[in-house]
Amino acid sequence: MDHAPGRSEGVTVTMNASVAPTETSSWDRFESLYRSSRDDVYAYVCTLLRDPGAAEDVTALAFERAYRRRRTFDRRRGEERAWLFGIARNAALDELRRRRRVATLVSEPTDVEPVGDEDGPEVALRRTAVQAAMASLPPREREIVALKFHAGLSNAELARVLGVSESNAGTLLYRTMEKLRKACNATA
Amino acid sequence: MRLLDHDEPIDPEIAASLDAIDAVLAGEPVDAQYAELAELALLLTAERPPVPPAFVQTMDKRVSRRFATPHVAAVPGQPRRRRLSTGFWEAAGALSAGVALIVGIVIVAGTLHSNGSSDASSTASVASAGSGEALSTTSASAEPTTRASAGASAPAVTASHGSARSPSSAFKSAASVPSTSSAAAASSSGAQTLQPPTTGRKVVQSAQLQLGAPPNRIDDVAQQVYDVIGSVNGIVENSTVTQTGGPDGSADFQLSVPSASLGQAMSQLSSLNYASVLSRTDASTDITDTYGAAQRALADARALRTSLLKQLANAVTTEQVDSLNAQIHDAEASISSDEATLARLNHEVGFSQLSLQISARNAPAPVAPKSGGFGIGRAAHDAGRVLTVAAGVALIAIAGLTPVALVAALLWWVGAAVRRRRREQALDSA
Repeated sequence: MDHAPGRSEGVTVTMNASVAPTETSSWDRFESLYRSSRDDVYAYVCTLLRDPGAAEDVTALAFERAYRRRRTFDRRRGEERAWLFGIARNAALDELRRRRRVATLVSEPTDVEPVGDEDGPEVALRRTAVQAAMASLPPREREIVALKFHAGLSNAELARVLGVSESNAGTLLYRTMEKLRKACNATA
Repeated sequence: MRLLDHDEPIDPEIAASLDAIDAVLAGEPVDAQYAELAELALLLTAERPPVPPAFVQTMDKRVSRRFATPHVAAVPGQPRRRRLSTGFWEAAGALSAGVALIVGIVIVAGTLHSNGSSDASSTASVASAGSGEALSTTSASAEPTTRASAGASAPAVTASHGSARSPSSAFKSAASVPSTSSAAAASSSGAQTLQPPTTGRKVVQSAQLQLGAPPNRIDDVAQQVYDVIGSVNGIVENSTVTQTGGPDGSADFQLSVPSASLGQAMSQLSSLNYASVLSRTDASTDITDTYGAAQRALADARALRTSLLKQLANAVTTEQVDSLNAQIHDAEASISSDEATLARLNHEVGFSQLSLQISARNAPAPVAPKSGGFGIGRAAHDAGRVLTVAAGVALIAIAGLTPVALVAALLWWVGAAVRRRRREQALDSA
């Protein structure tokens, strides 16, 4: 299986004219960040929330917040992607809090992606096992998977978003992978 | 699962597995022992949720507009919560600063008003002195030091005098610089003089005043002193005026001023042109008891003399006459002494002793405005006052806002911690 991790690309944005140089610079940085991270943020939020509709709203909210706060970004405290995913994480957790308060939405059913068999039945079987294993993961471990494999963050960025050290982030990722591997093997 | 919150060395096996994961995500080959892990990583990557094209278009439009529409992404099933914009907080901050500024101005203005618009600060102490009571008040003011020395080219002029009543022409001849103005006109801006209650009491008052003046203005100020003393019918008992044009110029005065006019004289002397008050001492001593004792002693002596005169009229022997004459002589001496004592006490009560020193100081002395004129000196003085008030207001505002800022920072920190904890709890219970 040589499926490369998909990344955001091909986004074109119309630029507004007559803006100050500093404004242009900060806007360029934001636009670049948006272009490179839009799909990643959506994938992360969608995996965390397991609700594509809410993921769209949260993703939009995260980018809007990032745009409003783009001047407060301090590069000494980490890379822009980690900063953006921190904002997205807070927005997603706020959504989870809101869901907890709204009882009627707690039991909202999640969409299940039908697994195609174009890659063969064996691959389809493995994908189904992975999906089942993912569904059985606690939210924190599912978040680690989302940040690493769906958002494409490095271990350092992952640590920055989670607020732990890089070695601890690596350990958490390893443990999660081991748990997933065992779950997949058990299913098989 | 609990997140690890402390750093620790990573296990080599874990590090190797993480490297294998990163390698397979980068499309690089991995060792065979990590084949299962690599396959799992690729399967997980393949489970990445695709982005709906409609959402991509919507987001691109919003970003191209730079989120121009004040829109907060609606959360399904929940009415949009109204957010406080940045403008609100800016307005709130400006309002708070304005309120603090107004409060500061009110406080500073109140303080200045209570000081009688004078630079002098006063302390007062009361102490017993013998049979009487003494009240001592000292006031002093600092003056700015920005003007350069006027030079020392003027010849030294010294004038010394004994007791003299009123500023005579002799003083003016000794002090060659003519008087510049009437100091009495500036009395309204002078410092207030303390007046102890004297109703029915015999009170001796005295005062000391130290003035500073530019070296080339010693004569001017001295002449104004003479004018003031003359205007209140005072006495210049002793004076020494030395003008060298340098920093060693000075003037000393021993003055006697009618006690009723002491306040007026002090006010005028405290606001002389070219002079500023360096220090000032007002003292008073209640001598009512001493005065009463002297009166009784005089009455007793007079009664004794009357009695002795009657005895002398009835005396029949020479020895009696001689003895009575000697006693009468002693009684008359006592009467003379008591009368002298009373006269001295009356003079002390009626005339207050005033000691005045003028020293040369290389500093701009405030020039009293003449008929409301406005000049550079007045402008500089006013500017200094404005800056002083502004600094005071700023200091008070900072003092008032600091605890508010600390409380706000604490509340913000607590709020952020609570919000962070609730978010983590929401993730745990998701």
